[in-house]
Amino acid sequence: MPKKINLNLDTVENREIRLGSIISWDGKASELVELSRYEERGRDIGCSGNRSSGCRLCELNMPFNQSSMCTNSIAACQVGNLTDCVLIQHSPAGCSARNPVFNLSFREGLKRRGKKQKNINIISTNLQENDMIFGAGDKLRTAVREAYSRYEPKAIFLSMSCSTAIIGEDISSAATEMEDELGIPVIPLHCEGFRSKHWSTGFDIVQHGIVRQIANKHPKKQSDLINIVALWGTDYFTDMLKPLGLRVNYIVEIASYEDLKQISEAAATTTFCHTLGSYMATALEQEYGVPQVRAPQPYGISGTDAWLRAIAKICGKDKEVEEYITSEHERILPQIESLRKKLTGIKGYVLTGSAYAHGLISVLRELEIVVDGSLVFHHDPVYDSGSEEQNSLKTLVDTYGDIPHFTVSKTQPFQLPQLFKRTPADFVIVRHGGLAPDLARLGIPSFEMGDEHLPVGYDGIVRLGKAVLETLSKRKFNNVLRRHVSLPYTEWWMNQKDPFVFANKPDILDEDGDRTNEITAKK
Amino acid sequence: MKLQQKNSILTHQHYACSMGAAYSVSAIPGGVPIVNCGPGCIDQQYATMSFCNGYQGVAGVGSGDIPGTDTSENEIVFGGAKKLDGVIKAALKIMKGDLFVVLSGCAPQLVGDDVGTVVKKYRDMGYPIVNAEVPGFKGNNLKGHETVVIAIIDQFVGESKVRKRKKLVNLWFEEPYFNTFWRGDYAEIKRMLKAAGFDVNVFFGSESTGVSEWKDIPKATFNLVVSPWMGLKIAKHLEKKYNQPYLHIPVIPIGEEATTAFLRKVVEFAKIDSAPSERFISQEAHRYYYYLEHFSNFFSEYHFNLPTSFATVGDAAYNLAVTTFLADQIGLVPVKQIITDNTPKEYREQILELYHHLSEEVCTDVEFIEDGFIVEEEIENTDFGTGTPLILGSSWEQDVAEKIGGILVEIGTVATEEVVLNRSYIGYNGALSLLEKIYSASIGGK
Repeated sequence: MPKKINLNLDTVENREIRLGSIISWDGKASELVELSRYEERGRDIGCSGNRSSGCRLCELNMPFNQSSMCTNSIAACQVGNLTDCVLIQHSPAGCSARNPVFNLSFREGLKRRGKKQKNINIISTNLQENDMIFGAGDKLRTAVREAYSRYEPKAIFLSMSCSTAIIGEDISSAATEMEDELGIPVIPLHCEGFRSKHWSTGFDIVQHGIVRQIANKHPKKQSDLINIVALWGTDYFTDMLKPLGLRVNYIVEIASYEDLKQISEAAATTTFCHTLGSYMATALEQEYGVPQVRAPQPYGISGTDAWLRAIAKICGKDKEVEEYITSEHERILPQIESLRKKLTGIKGYVLTGSAYAHGLISVLRELEIVVDGSLVFHHDPVYDSGSEEQNSLKTLVDTYGDIPHFTVSKTQPFQLPQLFKRTPADFVIVRHGGLAPDLARLGIPSFEMGDEHLPVGYDGIVRLGKAVLETLSKRKFNNVLRRHVSLPYTEWWMNQKDPFVFANKPDILDEDGDRTNEITAKK
Repeated sequence: MKLQQKNSILTHQHYACSMGAAYSVSAIPGGVPIVNCGPGCIDQQYATMSFCNGYQGVAGVGSGDIPGTDTSENEIVFGGAKKLDGVIKAALKIMKGDLFVVLSGCAPQLVGDDVGTVVKKYRDMGYPIVNAEVPGFKGNNLKGHETVVIAIIDQFVGESKVRKRKKLVNLWFEEPYFNTFWRGDYAEIKRMLKAAGFDVNVFFGSESTGVSEWKDIPKATFNLVVSPWMGLKIAKHLEKKYNQPYLHIPVIPIGEEATTAFLRKVVEFAKIDSAPSERFISQEAHRYYYYLEHFSNFFSEYHFNLPTSFATVGDAAYNLAVTTFLADQIGLVPVKQIITDNTPKEYREQILELYHHLSEEVCTDVEFIEDGFIVEEEIENTDFGTGTPLILGSSWEQDVAEKIGGILVEIGTVATEEVVLNRSYIGYNGALSLLEKIYSASIGGK
């Protein structure tokens, strides 16, 4: 593996450049596996991203968008949810408007991890029109000093926004200066919303900053400590790792500064989702020799088996793990069998982030639920590790079979009527805002996956099976809605069959259809 | 009194940016916002305006359905007019709507995209489409709301010489979505004005007929502004544009006495027959006091740590209305009043005066503070007397409420411990709901 993460730079390359990530594609999962050419990209860094036109993964070009999330929000959700560090958003106030959601997640996350609930402390520099003209470097420095005196944080993060990037604010210099002045890490995050076509670049930006400026540069090995790159999920990983004598270190959300600092001391790094965790795992492996778990994600029986074995191998627990796996199979298989009786043939659909969807589909198919369609918000043809064991879409297709309608599209609810006409579903698993309400109006019950660790491991199969059964009962509500409420789209659009018709047939925008709105306009 | 805070930084802010006014468009039946901004902007505003604000959700076009340009590096470097053109073209074909409003945020404004020309092209083709430039660095959602309303008036309602209808009034009231209880409040205020003999253009929410009301703006005899400051700019604009006078009532009425006085004032201003309003008032008053008499048993006899004094934290409209009601009608002592909405400087003195004369012998101060850190410090250092501290505020105050052993009742943005549907805290019925809420919370219910 060529060295590719450069911690000398204070920022990362976007995913679309680094990995060749796409946000718009439609076809069979097996085709996407093939087109992604993971192995080739993993072997040769020059071939990873879009700079090399030779193996670029092509995508559909859509002239229409609906609103979604940005890298700036991701930075806030990650480092804004640390227990003893402060994030300063260098931006107008609107870039902090999502913080109430992160406050909810933070409070819930603290509860899940057994910590005292409290509010987040994110500061906005609250930039005004004058600042756009004259610059706001002084305001930023004032904010950093104020943050330090108010909260005595262990580290301060500075995040960039669209406006501060356009007017050329230099947060890197400010960070260096303030770090010298205050004697704590001050970390610049170049996460302006317009910079990447997908918000997941935000994870990389944050994790880069943490590995670069917080990870202990003189690590003292903790041979039983496993880094779990996570969000706010319930601590189900301890259930799986404690029997092997291992401890978990959850990063980034809900972590403390000390938790972040010790990432370089861990025995290994793993995650519930490669989309989220691959960058940090690779950076730690490369920089500090902390091996990353080269295995499928811990979903379904075979994924969990392989994941546990890979961890055990790194930690020298080969014997213990086999005993554990055998006893877990004995314990869990009867429970899975009884759920299968209730779930066989039910049609499910997964609408979540990329690698996470691969895991969820594995679990649903383990339960004999039919999954003929899924939509992911982006697709990385390769992860930073380049590790073939982490080729999660291939693992899914190889283990559980193809997915005939596999769609990549960044939260575009207008496509839902077409997608669900094509692939009818009894329920949908969703993880992202703005989609479930439209499904509800289409009469489809959805399970908004609020606790991302729910489907992880052997028990995750049972937990998810139960959650699906509960979700199916929500059909009552959705059917009431469907009978009385409609989606805000024209008849013309509702009658279209292809969710990507604008890309596949661009001229359709100029053709006369039932142009309801124009008719209204000319009345 | 602090008319200005010393620090300009913000934490725990009680508002969204001016792009939040996309939700004013969503609130118009048939209204479709099209946002011209970075990929995350409107998702951010949704959190403060709707989701984390009583979990209001949306009807029509909001949340994930809002079409947008998702401005990327390419548009920053080469300009975003072409991409916007494509999005508008597709939106007009896909989105069901009677009125489209393009809202442009920070990025297109800073790079200088000529958005007006793009939008005008479609307006000239006959589409009902309006251009509103509302970058976040120019102000918060309240400012954005006024900008959007005026843009719709100028570009959609347009010039029209029509005969005025004597009983028709334009209502400029709470900001939709931002004011957590706006849906119920609009329904209550329309119910009252209708019963008093008016036809009312409410423009937003379930009681609005949609764009036809907007087209009828010039037909109204006058504009009624029920808010301390927000909406005055709109009324002044309409005064010039359509020669319509306006009546400004700064305190939203809560409770029988205030509501009755409010209705009489509006009827008197309009010079319409007072018989219907007086009939309505006597019915409502009868019912109101039937309930209040029952409530008085609890209020007089329950003797376990009820609050005696209270703080209010929130936007000027609700802060002033609730403070007035509790001080003037219930006899709670206002001890700390903080307006968090960045009320324009020119209105602050007038608003302060209103707090100085809340009721006979009741005078309090109000401070204008936007930074939640300072707000929470102020609350912590407040003497709430012998009773349990009562804070009428937002979810941001939950930590400080816990710290001082107080009760928090969420009355404004952000509200994450409340699910709000049609509840209202204004007028005759709303006052009773507000009492229910405050005193249920006070005795340990939620």
